[in-house]
Amino acid sequence: MPRLAARGLVHRFGVTTALAGVDVELGDGESLAVMGPSGSGKSTLLHVLAGILVPTSGVVTLRGREVQGLGEKERSLLRRSRYGFVFQLGQLLSELSARENVALPAMLTGTSRAEAEAAADRWLAALGLAGTEGRRPGELSGGQAQRVAVARALVNRPEVVFADEPTGSLDQATGHDVMKVLVDSTRAVGASLVVVTHDADVAAWCDRRIDVRDGLVVAPGSTTRAGVGPRPGERAGAPGGDLLGPGGAR
Amino acid sequence: MRVNPVLALAPRLQRAGGRDSRTTTVLAVTAFAVSTALSLSVVAALLGFMERAAHPTTGLERDAGGFYVTLAVVATILLLVPLLTLGGGAARLGVARRDARLAALRLLGATPREVVGLTLVDTALQGLAGAVAGTALYGALLPVWTRIPFQGRPFTAAELWVGVPVVLLAWLAVPLLAVVSGAVSLRRVVVSPLGVAQRVSRPGLKAVRVVVAVLAFVAFMVVSVIGQSFAAVLVGMLLAGLAVAFLTLNAVGPWALGVLGRVRLWRARTPEQLLAARRLLDDPRAVWRVVGGLGLASFVAGCLAVVPVLVSGPGTDPDDATVSADVLTGALLTLAITFLLAAVSAGIAQAASVLDRRRELSLARLAGVPTELFDGVRRREVLVPVVLVSVGSATAALVMFFPLFGAAALAAPQGLLLLVGSLTVGLLLVVAATEATRPLLHRVLADTVVRAD
Repeated sequence: MPRLAARGLVHRFGVTTALAGVDVELGDGESLAVMGPSGSGKSTLLHVLAGILVPTSGVVTLRGREVQGLGEKERSLLRRSRYGFVFQLGQLLSELSARENVALPAMLTGTSRAEAEAAADRWLAALGLAGTEGRRPGELSGGQAQRVAVARALVNRPEVVFADEPTGSLDQATGHDVMKVLVDSTRAVGASLVVVTHDADVAAWCDRRIDVRDGLVVAPGSTTRAGVGPRPGERAGAPGGDLLGPGGAR
Repeated sequence: MRVNPVLALAPRLQRAGGRDSRTTTVLAVTAFAVSTALSLSVVAALLGFMERAAHPTTGLERDAGGFYVTLAVVATILLLVPLLTLGGGAARLGVARRDARLAALRLLGATPREVVGLTLVDTALQGLAGAVAGTALYGALLPVWTRIPFQGRPFTAAELWVGVPVVLLAWLAVPLLAVVSGAVSLRRVVVSPLGVAQRVSRPGLKAVRVVVAVLAFVAFMVVSVIGQSFAAVLVGMLLAGLAVAFLTLNAVGPWALGVLGRVRLWRARTPEQLLAARRLLDDPRAVWRVVGGLGLASFVAGCLAVVPVLVSGPGTDPDDATVSADVLTGALLTLAITFLLAAVSAGIAQAASVLDRRRELSLARLAGVPTELFDGVRRREVLVPVVLVSVGSATAALVMFFPLFGAAALAAPQGLLLLVGSLTVGLLLVVAATEATRPLLHRVLADTVVRAD
């Protein structure tokens, strides 16, 4: 059974059809790149898969259970407890420190502040951010802020991580570092990953890629990397999967 | 005539930004309008009393006309700071949504002068629109003011009409105030193009503020003990005391809020407590701008707690009874306007805060942060400081005027009842004003299409 699946997804904004009948499956621990030009419907697909938007028609299942019919509160709970999110920019709460930003999702699921902050510190250290725990988002570089966002997405050990243009505001080298951290750490916790991007280099980090055009998947299932050679820019023999997962908050 | 190309963008900037920009414009213009309407009303009362003193028609107006004018001047001074606070808040709100675009303009090479000019033209237009709307509101309020009796008879609408020159002055002064407040808020954009884009820790406020404030308070109390035997000095003392109090409250308020923030951050156990404490600690000056108006109003309420003592002296002269009743009416009216201004200021500032954070709030909700959390933080971030500030300020007023009026002021139950009652009403008004920003917060949170600013 796929971890996350969608069948016959249709989504309309007024008279505009953003998704015109999309089928997607995501296996355990699998990473999937969703590519397409602006306005193709790829972000809408991510929003529908993640339970942010309710599709006009179609079915979304998480481990076989339909989730598209859940109410707003249940979908919100689903997103904060079983999913993780990395957006392009500006997702960290500006008044909180890096540590508090990472600890917040854990606190929202009932973990005590002390435990949540301890877990946050472990994640920040594992992602190469030791020493930045007390810094505010404005005191972090773009790459550091995105790694904090990755730590925040993973602190609850989610089942699926959704990333919407996670390197969209970064230069190529920094984007590369962030994708490595995202893919490695997501795999380390056993989560599946959906990455929406318009950048083929970013998509190349994922096991599988689909292209979306005019609300339809046009090139499903083309393998870009699965099991063949190092990732873009990765040194041969470099320790892959060196992130053992610092232990979530739960 | 060749128009500077950047300044020519002003009307576009006004239209850009869609619904949020329209919301901020409406809020800012409303705030300017309320501020103008109440300012004109206060000036109208002052001019009305001056006119009655100059051309008295009754014995009371002839004998006590000067006293009434003095009290009207005191009330005007009391209302000046909350009025300016509201006007300043409106200007900051107008600037808030434009910060990001202005910083981008700076990065693109627009000169500081052009950036400032562009925003100030925009803000001045909002100020002018507010002043014109406020004049209409002042006209609409006249039937309310003409129902309240002073010196044995209510003012007529003609007595409370300020005249065309004053109206024109308001239409000039309000945009000018907006421009000055806007320029102060914009300073950081001009100084550093990256300043607004980056949210960084600010240096803490120095405790020296408290030392200076305490010294000023003690100095006032000492001087008031020495000077109180001279009746002529008393009114001057009161005015000086109010000036000292307003200045020191403005200095101590943000510092005290910073201390409160640190304590609450240390004690925070839930996400709601953590976020509210961080917001308080993040920028105590900004929180002070929200609750400061109420702090000053509470201080006024503390001062007015002595009024019933002053007016409840023995005597059967009907004129004395009228004066006593008028002093209390005037005091309550001043207090009501101050609280109203403080509440509107709080609502305006919170709307600006929601719009400033719109992107991160919206993304947090997408990631599953419950709406209730932000609602809770919104309430907590205003209520906790408001209670501290209002109770603290009222207590400061009672302590400060203790040497002048002695324990009698505190012992008079009607004075304390007035104080507690007005604080409660003021708090409820602020709560109502902040609840008015709930739909705005929910609309921002409901936005699933998050634009990159």
